[in-house]
Amino acid sequence: MSQVTAEAGIPVAGQETVVATQELRLLRPFQLAGPFLIALLVGAIVLLASGRDALGTYWLLVQQSLGGTTQIANTLVAATPVLLTGLATAVAFRSGIFNVGVEGSLYVGAFTAAWAGFTLTQLPGPLLIVTAVALAGLMGAVWALIPAILRAQWRVDEVVTTLMLNYVAILLTSWLVNYFFLAPDIANSMSPLVAHQARLGPLLPSSQLTVAFIVALLITVLYAFLFKRASIGYELRMTGLNPRFARAVGINLARAIIVAFLISGLLGGIAGGFQILGVNYRFIDHFSPGYGFTGIAVALLGRGHPIGIVLSALFFGALSSGGAMIQLFSDIPLDLVNILQGTVMIFAVIELSRLPFVRRWVRRA
Amino acid sequence: MPDALLGTLAAAAPATTAILLAAMGGLINRQGGIVNIGLEPLMLVGAFMAVVVSAQSGNPFLGLLAAVVAGGLLGLLFSWSITRLGANEIVAGLGLNLLVLGFFGYLLPVAFKIEGTLLPAGLVGLPKVNIPLLGQIPGLGPIVSGHDIVTYLSWLSVPLVSVFLYRTPLGIQLRATGANEEAARAAGVATLRLRDFSTVVAGAFSGLAGAQLSLGVVTLFNKQMTGGRGFIALAAFYFGDARPAMTALGAVIFGVFEAAGFRLGSSGIPSQLVQMLPYLVVVISLTLVAVRRDSRVRQRARAALASVAAAKVG
Repeated sequence: MSQVTAEAGIPVAGQETVVATQELRLLRPFQLAGPFLIALLVGAIVLLASGRDALGTYWLLVQQSLGGTTQIANTLVAATPVLLTGLATAVAFRSGIFNVGVEGSLYVGAFTAAWAGFTLTQLPGPLLIVTAVALAGLMGAVWALIPAILRAQWRVDEVVTTLMLNYVAILLTSWLVNYFFLAPDIANSMSPLVAHQARLGPLLPSSQLTVAFIVALLITVLYAFLFKRASIGYELRMTGLNPRFARAVGINLARAIIVAFLISGLLGGIAGGFQILGVNYRFIDHFSPGYGFTGIAVALLGRGHPIGIVLSALFFGALSSGGAMIQLFSDIPLDLVNILQGTVMIFAVIELSRLPFVRRWVRRA
Repeated sequence: MPDALLGTLAAAAPATTAILLAAMGGLINRQGGIVNIGLEPLMLVGAFMAVVVSAQSGNPFLGLLAAVVAGGLLGLLFSWSITRLGANEIVAGLGLNLLVLGFFGYLLPVAFKIEGTLLPAGLVGLPKVNIPLLGQIPGLGPIVSGHDIVTYLSWLSVPLVSVFLYRTPLGIQLRATGANEEAARAAGVATLRLRDFSTVVAGAFSGLAGAQLSLGVVTLFNKQMTGGRGFIALAAFYFGDARPAMTALGAVIFGVFEAAGFRLGSSGIPSQLVQMLPYLVVVISLTLVAVRRDSRVRQRARAALASVAAAKVG
């Protein structure tokens, strides 16, 4: 299946495989901005149909996510995990690996970081933080190694295995925290707090904006470098674009698959680790609102391009931080954000050029 | 047989229904060439429509009908995005999950002024139907009798789906489409329409499955009520390699896990580990299938090499 999706150029290969005909060049801005605009339109329809002021709500959303230092800081905090899971997803997608299991790596990484944070308490702050994040990334990668080996060795469809392993990871960490690492002072579902020196300090007073966001941006630069300059990046890209060609020019497909999975899992694990050390300070059963799945939307909306991924992570960060505030100030539920996100995902993979009215519009232009 | 086991099986019968129906729908979709990971939201839409229509009309069977129609229609839209507009089925399926969950999360507080459970006045659940004679068999009776009508329909669906796929022209064309769309199209099969048809069936089956949850198992609606059963159904038809009998077996096993999960929870076995089983079973069974296929390919390659060598020597 992954081969089919890679050949269809789904997620991101588009920019490389699309032949720049006149028609497609006309369509390109629409294809890039389309999912975003359609999602806002769908959201507006839902708001209007339920008797709410759509423009007013969107304006409030903008104000509450970008209208001041605190609001911007909150947006960046919310963008951090989905930037990392977006990069994790994009690495896999560009290599032709349909890894939808970043959520699982995130859970495993988050649990590992929390464990390090409340266990290795004798370590000094910086060392403990680096150790916790490194272990989180390592365990995230190890988790991704399961579907990687199954795919590389026996061609087991990774879509299904990664999807299923997400639930295994969520239930496994839930079991660990509830049966072995329960906080003594709390009834259920939470691990003890990580040591004080393991918590990331705020960059701005009274915000949770930490060095995690800066690191996520640096990882974005590494991601760009990987696919632009590094030879392993070239091998991954070729594997994604055309596996048969890649094999013919001597690329070791099994190795490329495993490397792509490992990087993807590593980033997913780091995303989970930072969320614990920077925001939650403890592992909470079922804590993620789907950061791994939002990462898929981020990677798709950003078309795999580093700048695109940062922009879409900021967009989803703004939606969730602004949406949370709107839920406080008005009677509009945060679920509006899920509606927008689901619409973005569906329309990011729909080929808008196949819609009849778009076709007519292109022919006229 | 010990009473505890019989009791678990009797409880497992209605718990299996929704999984079994959605799995049968997903199986038909899979045979038509589409992996449908949107079974869960399709079930949720069915569960909602069933509750609303049953409450409005006072007739739970109209609720079932509404659930089937709503599931089928949403299935059609979902299918168009894949077959006509080139969407990747997995991403579109994940998107549908988010969209529908978000929609109900928004709708319940805004339109119905409730946070959790929708329990409209006049809501009528499905009656339990006793099968004469069979129901009187000691021990076995409560397992095979005394369920809602959808549970019996779900049992009936297994042989029906099997006959449809392997004995009717439409079913054979559908399987041909799933196996090799280009070849099927070249042979004159309307592949796009067949794939849409298979997704509509998956939607209708899932809608009915959701209605059984909201009118049969309990009589209410909330947005968590499908509880991952759509994904367990996915696990079931992957476990069964998209064949009706094995898929049904998988659905029954997972249904028993679920019914047993509640009992095991009190006996000290962690519920998380019980809930994990269907997902692990899928990963393991997919691996076993792939390993077997792989070793067969290698054997054949070895045999071919040997015959080439023999021909050279000869």
